[in-house]
Amino acid sequence: MSKVINTESKDGLIIIYTDGYLNKDLGEEIQKIAYEHIENGELNFLLDLKQSNIVNSIGASILIEIIEKLQDVNGNLYLCNLAPIIEKTFNIMGLTKYCKTFKSQSEAIEELS
Amino acid sequence: MSSTFDRFQENLSSIKSPFEIISLLIKKIEENNSKCHIILNKSIKPLHFINNYIKVKEIDYDLILKEKKIWSEKYFSNKFNLEPSKTKYKYTIVNYISVGNKFKGLIYISYNKKYSYEILLNQLNFEISNLIEKENLRKKINAKNNLLKNKTLEIESLFDITEMLNSDENLKPLFDKILYFLISLFNASKGIIFLRDANSKNFNVQSSFNYDLNKINSRIIRDTRGVHKELKESFKSRIINNPKKYPLLEEGKLNCISGPIISNKKLDGSIFLFDKESRKGLTTFNNYDLKLFDSIIKKISLTYNNLFLVHSLKDSKKMIDSIMSSISTGIIKINMLGEIEYINESASSIFKVDSKSIINNHYAILFHNNQEILDILERAENSSHIFYEENLKINTNENNIGAVNLTISPVFDDGINSGMVVTLEDLSNINKVKSTFKKYVSESIVDELLLNEDSLELGGVQKDVCVLFADIRGFTSMSENLEPEKVVSLLNNYFQKMINVVFKNNGTLDKIIGDELMVLYGVPISYENDNQNAVNTAIEMFKELKVFNEKIKDEGLPEISIGIGINFGKVISGNIGSDQQMNYTVIGDNVNIAARLCSVAKPGEIIISDSVYNKLNTSSGFNLNKPLNLKGKSKPIKNWLMKVS
Repeated sequence: MSKVINTESKDGLIIIYTDGYLNKDLGEEIQKIAYEHIENGELNFLLDLKQSNIVNSIGASILIEIIEKLQDVNGNLYLCNLAPIIEKTFNIMGLTKYCKTFKSQSEAIEELS
Repeated sequence: MSSTFDRFQENLSSIKSPFEIISLLIKKIEENNSKCHIILNKSIKPLHFINNYIKVKEIDYDLILKEKKIWSEKYFSNKFNLEPSKTKYKYTIVNYISVGNKFKGLIYISYNKKYSYEILLNQLNFEISNLIEKENLRKKINAKNNLLKNKTLEIESLFDITEMLNSDENLKPLFDKILYFLISLFNASKGIIFLRDANSKNFNVQSSFNYDLNKINSRIIRDTRGVHKELKESFKSRIINNPKKYPLLEEGKLNCISGPIISNKKLDGSIFLFDKESRKGLTTFNNYDLKLFDSIIKKISLTYNNLFLVHSLKDSKKMIDSIMSSISTGIIKINMLGEIEYINESASSIFKVDSKSIINNHYAILFHNNQEILDILERAENSSHIFYEENLKINTNENNIGAVNLTISPVFDDGINSGMVVTLEDLSNINKVKSTFKKYVSESIVDELLLNEDSLELGGVQKDVCVLFADIRGFTSMSENLEPEKVVSLLNNYFQKMINVVFKNNGTLDKIIGDELMVLYGVPISYENDNQNAVNTAIEMFKELKVFNEKIKDEGLPEISIGIGINFGKVISGNIGSDQQMNYTVIGDNVNIAARLCSVAKPGEIIISDSVYNKLNTSSGFNLNKPLNLKGKSKPIKNWLMKVS
């Protein structure tokens, strides 16, 4: 089953690690975690999708909701380790216009920290 | 007033933002100690941010519509839970906001001093309605935009699946990808693909996603019952609204979309997607999903069919390649343009070329050193006949010389000439074998050995063999009076003549021991008339010797006299010797008897044993000789003697 497998704070980023199908359930789990951190004033998130190789439009639309919420509070969502099929879906859904993507977590941390 | 109002109107027209216009209008209304409330549906978001200027509250449409009357300020405040105004107002005016005949809210003005609010109110209503309309339009555009994005996703997905299906992949990874793709495209929660096993004809799980396979794996799944039976009968994709009624689909909660994989008009597999997701939770697949799913399933079926054809073609090609590479005959297929379409390993080896560098090149490149082949090919191109050339000398790419038997045959596809096939039988090795063997056996034996390898028995076996010894009488004393070169030359010439006779009669030269010849009949190949051949050899030897002696006599050389002994019986034949030197020969008592008979034969005599005599078709010329006591033999040997004049 798909789930968030870990969340950690690193170099000013909240890194959320996922596993499996980025669908409604996983999207909402990510959203819940992100909103809790936003409440605590943490505004920069890196979503590591290394272990997710499938997404649907519902999952993508939930990420758009998170981005909207972050835009209201001047926060950012970044993405890394996207499988080609996920990257393509995000591009079509317009998601990657509003959040920067990185090939790897290390590349993201190097640029963002 | 009119001049102030005109100036106000001028101010308004210079302002572009509708929000500023609305704010100014409210301010203008409230300038006269009046109160302006604007009540709107909270869903009309664009006005929220001017909350400071206007009151935006939840609106109860039904209430407004039912009580469409002029309320007192107090009633109005209570109704909408507004803070009651400290000022007592004498008059109220209500203006309803509607967009496209739909009620969206109201503007409520409380005032004491009579004033012409009509123009301001209408203007405010117009601006707000306009804003709401724009917002509605924006929402519609957004919705259309999202729809467009989803359509783009679908179209892109169709491209993706076309690419995926055309990729050269094995079944397992391909169907995993297909399932992931379908799950993602249709927002499904889970899915499963079954494929029919070619041998058992049962359906097995090929790929699954989020699906509990525990119950399925223990089931025998056939198309004689259940959901597969229905798919086999309908051959159509369909939505199954109560998946739990099928044991295979128990994992489905709401509904499931199913499709058959059809190949050669047979149900070869099935795809099931379960429980579509929406932002609000699980939902059901609809007819639009079914239409898209069905078109993709048909594409998958087609690909599956093609995949099988490709696999069987590959298998066939592999088999043909294996056959072609295992045969020693060189094969080259040339198309109508003269280009080489195929060359097998043997052909590459004959011409010492790399097949990859030759494929798709004109044959002139391969045969550039072989004008004779080029000439034949040119003739063959203009003909529909088969061309054959035996023992054709060829030059290889490495400038070696070889020999082939060449055949050029035209190829016809459905009666239409599609090129030529060149077959090359490499004679290089055969020729080497022949030239080596010819030193020991006759050419006819070599040919038979090459034709029939089974006739060659090189192991140690006991066989019936006829053994002939021919020895020169008085050679030692003769050679003492000659120069060594002359002795060698004389012997070589003598042996050449004698060996020719041996081979002519299918004898096998076993060895030359000094001035003695040992010849075998019956090995390595046995013939029915081996004994007769041996005797014929002996008689012809004397005839040849007579001619030979006359010749050497003219040269001043001494005549040669020989005696011949022949015996027939069981001997042991095989490769005898050590690792360093090994010869194919025969050993045994009967070999010794032949040697003894030879040793007692006087010049011009042929002595044969009784066993030889009994096998002869023509025994004339032989007379019974007195039994001979031979060394190592307890009993005298019966023998027959021919004196050759």
